[in-house]
Parts: sequence; C-alpha cells; structure tokens
Amino acid sequence: MDQPLLRGAGLTKIYGNLVALNGADITIMPGEVRALIGSNGAGKSTLIKLLTGAVSPTLGTVEIEGETVPLGDPREMIRRGVACIYQHSNLAPAMSVLDNIFLGRQPTGPLGVVNVKQQRREAEALLARHGIDLDLNAAVASLPTVKQKEVEIMKALALDARVILMDEPTGWLAASEVAKLHTTIRALKARGVGVVYISHILDEIFAVCDTITIMRDGRVIAERQVADIDRARVVHLMVGEKLARESEQASQHKRRPRGLGDIRMSARSLGKRGVFSDVSFDLYAGEILCITGLIGSKRTELLRTLFGSDRFDSGTLEIEGKAVSFATPRRAIASGIGFVPEDRHREGLLLDLSVAENLAMASLSRFRTGILLRGKRMMEAARRMIDALSIQPPEPNRPVRLLSGGNQQKALLGKWLNLSPRIIILDEPTVGVDVGAKAEIYTILRRERDRGAAVLVVSSDLEEVMTVADRIGVMVSGTLTSLHDADATDIQQIIREMGGAVT
Amino acid sequence: MNIRPATFALVGFFAVAMTAFGVFAPRFASASNMEDLMGGFSFIAILAMGEAFPILTRGIDLSVGAIVALVGMTVFDLSLIFHLPGYIVLPAALAAGTLAGAINGILIVYVRLQPFIATLATLATYRGIVYAISGRQLVEGLTTTPITDKWIVGLENYLDIGGPLGISKLFQTPWVPLSFLLMLGLFAVLQWVLLLSKFGRSVLTVGGNAEAARLAGINTGRIIIAAYAISGFCAAVAGLLLVARLTTSTEQLGFGMELSAIAAAVIGGVSLAGGVGSMFGPALGAFLLGVILLGLTLLQVSQYVQQIITGTILLAAVGYDRLLFLRRQRRANSSGG
Repeated sequence: MDQPLLRGAGLTKIYGNLVALNGADITIMPGEVRALIGSNGAGKSTLIKLLTGAVSPTLGTVEIEGETVPLGDPREMIRRGVACIYQHSNLAPAMSVLDNIFLGRQPTGPLGVVNVKQQRREAEALLARHGIDLDLNAAVASLPTVKQKEVEIMKALALDARVILMDEPTGWLAASEVAKLHTTIRALKARGVGVVYISHILDEIFAVCDTITIMRDGRVIAERQVADIDRARVVHLMVGEKLARESEQASQHKRRPRGLGDIRMSARSLGKRGVFSDVSFDLYAGEILCITGLIGSKRTELLRTLFGSDRFDSGTLEIEGKAVSFATPRRAIASGIGFVPEDRHREGLLLDLSVAENLAMASLSRFRTGILLRGKRMMEAARRMIDALSIQPPEPNRPVRLLSGGNQQKALLGKWLNLSPRIIILDEPTVGVDVGAKAEIYTILRRERDRGAAVLVVSSDLEEVMTVADRIGVMVSGTLTSLHDADATDIQQIIREMGGAVT
Repeated sequence: MNIRPATFALVGFFAVAMTAFGVFAPRFASASNMEDLMGGFSFIAILAMGEAFPILTRGIDLSVGAIVALVGMTVFDLSLIFHLPGYIVLPAALAAGTLAGAINGILIVYVRLQPFIATLATLATYRGIVYAISGRQLVEGLTTTPITDKWIVGLENYLDIGGPLGISKLFQTPWVPLSFLLMLGLFAVLQWVLLLSKFGRSVLTVGGNAEAARLAGINTGRIIIAAYAISGFCAAVAGLLLVARLTTSTEQLGFGMELSAIAAAVIGGVSLAGGVGSMFGPALGAFLLGVILLGLTLLQVSQYVQQIITGTILLAAVGYDRLLFLRRQRRANSSGG
C-alpha cells in the first residue's frame, strides 16, 4: 500500500467550551478525491483550518508523507504542498488578479525584484491549461463574485500543491463552471494530487469523489468508498439518528402554509440595484416561510432591506396593508419586526455583557422609569425568558461569551421575543449550533408561529428548511424564483431549483 | 501598474494651484520662491513617503515628529558633546531613527497594540527621551554653539543646475537644494521597492487583506515591523536635513510634523483603509501643501487661516478616500451572485 500524502490523527479543537472538532482522523492517498460532508457546525471547516495551518489544534498530529509536521503555521503547510480554496474570499481586493494568484510567493530575481514577466508567463500557461479566462491586470475588487472564486481556485492550483483542500468551492459557481472544476479535479487526480472536497451537494460528491468522510458534531462518523454507499445512507449518517427521528416527528407537525390567512408582510417587485430584483412574496401571520438558495443568492441582503438596515430602491413593501420604507432598523422594530442576524457575534450579541443585559438590549424602554432603568424588573424578565427558552446554564448574570453556541442563539432570539414581535426574521438561525439546541430552536419558532407571529427564515441548511418550513421560497442570483407549500415539494426539487433549474 | 483616478486628480490640483498662485500671488513664480518650495518641503515629502508605509499596512505612525527630534538631538549630542566626526554621526542618527521606527512595529506586532495607540505612546516617550538627553540642558553654553561639521551642514546646500546647462541664460532658474535631490533619490528607491519588489507586494497584501496574507505564507509581522522601520528611517533623513538647515537642534524640533506627513500621504491617495497607494502621491501631496501654504503667505493670509485651510484640505482628501473605499466595497458586494 502506498504511503498516504497526508494523515491527520486525533485532531481536536476546543474554543472556550465549544468542542468544534473532537478526535478527527483523516487520510488522503495520492490521487484520491475525498468528500468531506456534514451539516453546519459538524466541524468540517475547523478540520480544514487545522490542515492549512490557519489555526493550531488543541490536540492531535498531522503527518505529510510520513513526516510529522508542526501545526498552526500556514507557511509550513504551503511549503509542504498543502493548498486550500477557502469558502470565504482570501484575496487582496485592491491588487491585480496576477498579484493575487502569486500572493506571498512571487518569483523573484536578484534584490527581491518580482519577475513580472515570468509571473505572467506562468499564470497564462496555468489559465490555458485549466481553460479559465481571466483578465490578469484587473483589480480583484472589480470582478464579479464568480470570477473572484476562479482567482481563488487559480491561486491554489498555481501552488502546484500535492494536496488541495476545497471548502465548498462550488458555492458561487454556475452549473457549467462546476463541470469545469470537476474536469480540473480529475486532471489533478491523474497527476497524483490528493483532493479534499467539501460540499453540501450530493450530486457533486457522487460525480467526482472516490471516498467519503462523514462528520457530525465535531466527530468523524463514517468513512466509506463512494461506490459502496447510497444517498439515503449518507444523509442518514450526516444528520444522525436523533435528528432523523426528530425531522420525522417534525414532518408530523402539521404544516400551516399561509397560517391564519391574513397577510403580515407583502413585498411586490422589491429590488435594490445590482443586488436583488423582482422579489415578491406574502408572509402570513402564523406561518414559517423559509427562503433558501446558494451562497451569493443575496438572501441576507434581502433580509437586511426588510429590516431597514439597507434600503430598497424599487418595488413596494407593505406591513399589514400599510406601505413602508424603513430608513433605519429602529423604525422596523417599531413596526413589530425582530431580526436575528446570521453572525451573532458581530451583529447580535454583546459578548462580554450578561445574558440579562443582552435579553433587554432591544427592549430597554420597557424597563425604564423616567430616565432610570429598573434592574430588578430586567432581572425578572430575564429569568422568565431564560425559563421559557431553557437557556443553559440558567444564570442571568453569566456573560454571554461563556455560553455554548446554541444557548447564545437562544439568548439572541430571546432579545426579540421580549418585544413580542409580530414578524420575526431570522438569518441562518442554527449556524454553529449543536443538534440538541437546533431542535429546541425549531420548537421556539413553532411556538411563535402558533402564537400568531409571522416567521421568515433564511437558511442554506436544507434539512432545516424541510423540517421547519410551512412554505419554501428559492432565491437564485438575487431573484425569488419560486414559492412552494412545503408539503407539495421535496428536497430534490429544491436542490434543482437552487442550481437555477426552471420549474 | 494602472494610474489611478486619485493620482490624476492630484496632478490636476497641483497644476491648478501652481497656475493660480503664479498668476495671483506676487513673487510666487520667482526663482527664490521655487527654492523656498523645494528647500522647505522636501523633508515633508520624505516624511510623507515614509509615513505611507505604515498606512499601506492599514496602520498609522504618529511618532514621526518625535523621531525627527530624537534624531536631531542624537546629532546634536554626538557632534557637540562627543565631538564625533560627521561620517560617524550620520549613520548613527539614521540607525537611531530606524530603530525607533522598528520599536513601533515591534509594539504593534508582538505586544499587539493598535498602531494608533502604540505610536501615540511612543510619540510621548520619544519626545520625553529628547528632553532627557538634550545636550542643551546637560552641558552649559552649548545652546548657542552651532554645529559646524561639514558632513552635516553640507546637507544644506544649493546646486546651480540651471547654470551649467545654460538654461539660466534664458530665464532665472532656481538653485536646487540638495535636500530636493535627496528626496528624489529616496523617491526612486522607495517607489521601486514598493512596486517592483516582493517586499512591496507583501506590504500591499498585508494592508489589503491581512488574513489572506497570513494564509498565503507571508510573514506579516516582519512586513509590518519593516514598514514602521522605513517610516523611522525617513523621519531620520528628514531630521538630518532640518538639523543641517538650522545648524542646531531643539527639543521642539519636528513638533506636530506627523500631521503634515499624514496629510500629505492621504492627499497623495494613500488609502487609510490600507493596501492602496504609491510613493508618487505622498511626495506630490507634500509639495501641494507647500504650494498652498507658500502661496497663501505671499497673499498675506494669516497663519491661523492657513491652518484652517490645511485642515480642510485633509478632510476633503480623507473624505474622497473614504468615498473610493465605499464604492470599491459596494462593487465587490454587489457583483455576481
């Protein structure tokens, strides 16, 4: 048997009290394309970051061609031929495509002068070899997102790496470009390069991968040959017995498309120049509407506009029959809208403040007499909310930083529930949340729905969408392309539509 | 390398200012005034080019004025107290400035201070050291003793370039100060370093996207320290030129000069958001400031009003930079997807 190109053993990463990765093993042989799959928060990205040296592990070792390597240093990994296409852009926006492809390792002549001619020659050869068309002189910031992704891919290929890690490389690509990427991967495989391919899209995995590693809750759950496993089994392993059971139960929850029948929010041909256009939907009281789509389909931007954090510039938005155009979130909140953003650390929580203070953040005026805040009333309200949402541990004075992701998310939800909003908007409500807390959050959402609130959820986690939605909308490239009753569609159809297939 | 619209705007402003003052301000277009411009603002241009490096890494260096004084006092002490010859004093002074700059970088990289805070602290510290080592106070009678070492005072010199070339027969040409030629030399070297060397690319990368730079295997810490060291080195050169001109140094030398340096760099299109800029902009930016200040003086506008005008120009430049940044960001966000 050949020696593996890369072997990680017992890799563990602990952030505070969140175990992001727990004793993961991974082996990559020459010429192997290994799929890495798991739902959000399963630990895939953490594993990739350890292998690229972007973060150092709490425990565990990595061998490259039999040699143990020091971890936590990107230079070391690049030197040993491990390259990565990151999920999020890792480019210098003001610099040219050419500069970005050779970031940090420009060929130099004497005196450290960059050999631009050689650089250009190599880049052109590389583009020709992989059949990709890019303007090498253009500044990266001036390119469309898809082209930027190609720059990212070229950057990794230019390394002449022996192991290439791809973290959802097709997230922003159209179908034809995905096919092109797969051709490239097969060519790399033929040259003995090892590839780790992260994707949520099973079609891609079955098209291009040899082996599959399935992760859940920070652990490697299973390793198989792709030929020996079928889709149903993959999904089953991925979501786990518990969630599978719950999602079965959930499907027995009665779905309530169009809820109580009165329209809470109505968008008609909503547009924002260069971002999204022609978005029309009605959101009813007492229903959960999920909008899904690929990364870059502008779902988050749409939500920000609905909440008054950005402005739309065409179409109309009505709340309970009244046309509105919120200039600030303050106005939106006054109209009874609550918004749970995707990035709870940056946009949602004050991490160093207590649970009680975070819960009261959006509703301070309720705890006010004159100009003074009533700490006691705040504390009582916090206790009630902590009980209602079963936030663990149930200590109102604990800094939010010390809570697990799931409990942080519940605290963030609680902040808005304090206002008893008539419309709740959530962006990726369960990112980085463990399976147990996910189920609890779904229960909270259903409770709010049954209370008569209108719930709008944006999610790229299809399991989630199929579990909680009463109706499902699909967004493609800034347009809401379809709306279905959840009972009248299935996951395969949604996946097809996300990729841009016409219904 | 594409020439950016900001550069065009700057050259345009410069031409307009030159023409306007040339027409309206008496004696502005005279040879002696051009000598004043070149002699009086070359060291600002040098400071601004140095300052551009920290700003390119998305930092800032507030301590350059204090480094100017530190270098000035080093020269004063070594020359007048220790009677060391100029060819030893000059490299020692350059080394002192470069070290002071490198310490800024080390504080930022290893102690992980915000550049603003780190250099604000060293601004006070370096200025304090100047008072502590001031030969004017340590040794009686030195206050009135001029520095006479020809290596040092030789830096303040004017060359008749127009004469030998025969141009001065056509009209009166200004004599070119040595400091201006030094500035041109430094400009050539630094522009070459920034645009053609691997180090220069790395500086732009660190400023443009620090995490991408780190993941591309760039030693970001070393790049940042080097950027601040360059800023310190340039401050040292500026300090030497000032001492040569005054033939002495004071504790207050270079006071507030960081503001002119930052203003010239930003007016010159070096983006405070990092990763964008060249050496041409800061150099021309410094002379643009010079043209405006000299012109207003000739028009007998008061010093205070001049400060208001300088501040307003800085505001306009920062505002324009911000606008370009936001537009860049919006384009990056809205494209594709």
